[in-house]
Amino acid sequence: MPKRIPVNRDTIQRLVREMPAERRTAVETAFQSLRRYPLRTALTLLGLAFGVAALMATIALGRGAQEAIRDQVRAAGLNVIEITAGNYRTRGERPIGGVEAPARHGAALPPGALERLLRKIEPVALAHPENDPMEKHDHPTAAERLGDSAAGLGAAATLTSDDAEAISSVPGVAHVASGIHESVRVFAGDRRWFTRLHGTDVDLVEIRRSFAMQHGRFFSSGELRRSSQVVVLGSVARDQLFGQDEDPVGREVTIWNQTFEVVGVVVSTNWMNPGAPGDDEFDAVYTPFTTVHQLLNVTNLNSITVTAASSGRVTEVSRAITDLLRERHGIGETQADDFTVTTQASEVLGKGLHPKVAETLAGNIPNLERTTLAQLASTLERSSRTMSVLLLAIALVSLVVGAIGISNVMLLSVRERIREIGLRMAVGAQTGDVGSQFLTESVLLGAAGGVLGVVIGAVAAVVVESSFGLAVEISVVAGLISFLVALLTGVIAGVSPARRAARLDPIVALGSE
Amino acid sequence: MAAIEVRDLVKTYVLSETHRVEALRGLTLSVDKGEFLSVLGPSGSGKSTLMHILGCLDQPTSGEYRLMGRDVARLGNDERARIRNEEIGFVFQSFHLLARASALENVELPMLYGAKRPSRDERRQQAAEALEAVRLSDRATHAPSQLSGGQQQRVAIARALANRPGLLLADEPTGNLDTRTGREILDTFARLNSERGLTVIMITHDRQVARYASRSVELRDGRILTDEEIASNGASPGA
Repeated sequence: MPKRIPVNRDTIQRLVREMPAERRTAVETAFQSLRRYPLRTALTLLGLAFGVAALMATIALGRGAQEAIRDQVRAAGLNVIEITAGNYRTRGERPIGGVEAPARHGAALPPGALERLLRKIEPVALAHPENDPMEKHDHPTAAERLGDSAAGLGAAATLTSDDAEAISSVPGVAHVASGIHESVRVFAGDRRWFTRLHGTDVDLVEIRRSFAMQHGRFFSSGELRRSSQVVVLGSVARDQLFGQDEDPVGREVTIWNQTFEVVGVVVSTNWMNPGAPGDDEFDAVYTPFTTVHQLLNVTNLNSITVTAASSGRVTEVSRAITDLLRERHGIGETQADDFTVTTQASEVLGKGLHPKVAETLAGNIPNLERTTLAQLASTLERSSRTMSVLLLAIALVSLVVGAIGISNVMLLSVRERIREIGLRMAVGAQTGDVGSQFLTESVLLGAAGGVLGVVIGAVAAVVVESSFGLAVEISVVAGLISFLVALLTGVIAGVSPARRAARLDPIVALGSE
Repeated sequence: MAAIEVRDLVKTYVLSETHRVEALRGLTLSVDKGEFLSVLGPSGSGKSTLMHILGCLDQPTSGEYRLMGRDVARLGNDERARIRNEEIGFVFQSFHLLARASALENVELPMLYGAKRPSRDERRQQAAEALEAVRLSDRATHAPSQLSGGQQQRVAIARALANRPGLLLADEPTGNLDTRTGREILDTFARLNSERGLTVIMITHDRQVARYASRSVELRDGRILTDEEIASNGASPGA
């Protein structure tokens, strides 16, 4: 008994001393073995590398797709809130006390009520020259471009730039753009075009996610401050004034007998809304609102366009803005708003409807919007989660396929080298030596396949992006994940062959032919 | 002093409940250090089993085995691996060289394992010395396929010498070689035995080959049939 303890201590010390050497031997031996079978090593490597490359490329594509979806949603303007001066509604539909109160017009209309409403509303349509049905126009009328309900909006002089300033500090507001809108005749040489003029803010480019500068730039904050006579043309207006795809930057147009310098052209990046004559965004020209104020000698705004920081907060933000403006305008509890807050949802729902019907609908919108936007947000979230799960599944599949590949090759290699294993054991390799050699080989294959796969995957992603025009986002994280998956594959795949090799009986192994 | 002491060695293979094979039936043998012993016997006489047990590749069913004074009959797998690494050099009938490694790398193999683990340079040097001992220094970088059968077996002998063991175990070392080449190998054994005092145990079924040793043991049915000194040993290297 007294003998055993020193032996144990000695053994432990010796083991500790030897550990690095053993690991070194395992790595060296594994490297040698891999080098001695270059074809097999290369094929295994390629198999794993393509799996990892697929994973890498899929992550890049998936993330690109997610980004693209998010951009499209933003471009669709779901987080845009439009505040227009004036209120065509006779009484405020805003449910007092917020969310619980049901909309007043929310209930189903009694039979015949719709017709009665329509008859009553008829005289409201004012005798604007554009509304004369006998009149021939060389341009789309305001009603055509905006719809009946919107055509009368913005006439009241109740919104100011100070309101816009105040709104910009409401929590959840990302961007604010003042707007003053006029219908104008724009002259360029002998051509003329009747279009919308938007006096606006530099933030508009941020708000209209579908805006892209085809030529030049948007006007600057300096030009806004100086009320410069600069103009940005919508692509449709540019087509009419200068010809298809011309670059008019630096040339001049005349509006209100004033000369404006063209500084840029905006086009749409949203395939759902490519820009067409009569629309409000690309058949339009943009100038600083300060310039319009100065030239027309006014101070009011027709509208203020706001974006919420996220689409889920639109209802909350629009309510906060309503409260703020009511307070600023000194509107009492029982009085109607002197402005209208419209969100994308209410606009979509009210489009093409008679004002009174739209109004009825609008009463329901706070409730409706709450659900739809919440639903939309959760749908988006769900779809991105689905995407993540899909990616995970692909990662798992490629892990399994890669692991099976390596495992197969390693098992084959154990069988093929059974005599070699027997010999190594005969000359003194312990079970751990043999096991760690094969495990190390497998891990080395995994690591090398991982590196190769990440490189191939990144290249493939770039190629896919450039040749198919798909959005791709290659990230370090994706590369790291792919590499780790490959390494893990190597470890998992190596376990069973390594155990099999280590458990061989040297006599049997040596005797096998 | 005895290099190997074996007493009442029994090895029984249980093939099924009713069928057992008694490969060794109480074999007793003592081999002194520096002896060159041949073990002769027809197939089925138990000589391979004896070789496996003496080489610490297998455990006896019962009986005693002392190698260099140490009781090794009941050691576990890893301890036996260590004994094989440090004390025993193997030479096989079919050489068992790694086909894709050079002669030098093959000789280095035993140094990759065990307690000492010399550095790469030490390994190189030690392997080169072992190749020198079998007079193959000029073939160090050759692959086994580029060497003749006799040269391959000499690489295998160099490998067996690499860790400077006390015991060389050869299992039918000339079985795959023609007579002339076989004699070369046997001369190598005899030289290593006489020059280095290496204990050599060679298993063979060939009486002519067995006579190269200084002592010959004949097995029959798991027991020793004859055990004789060979007087004419000194003449064989020159033959």
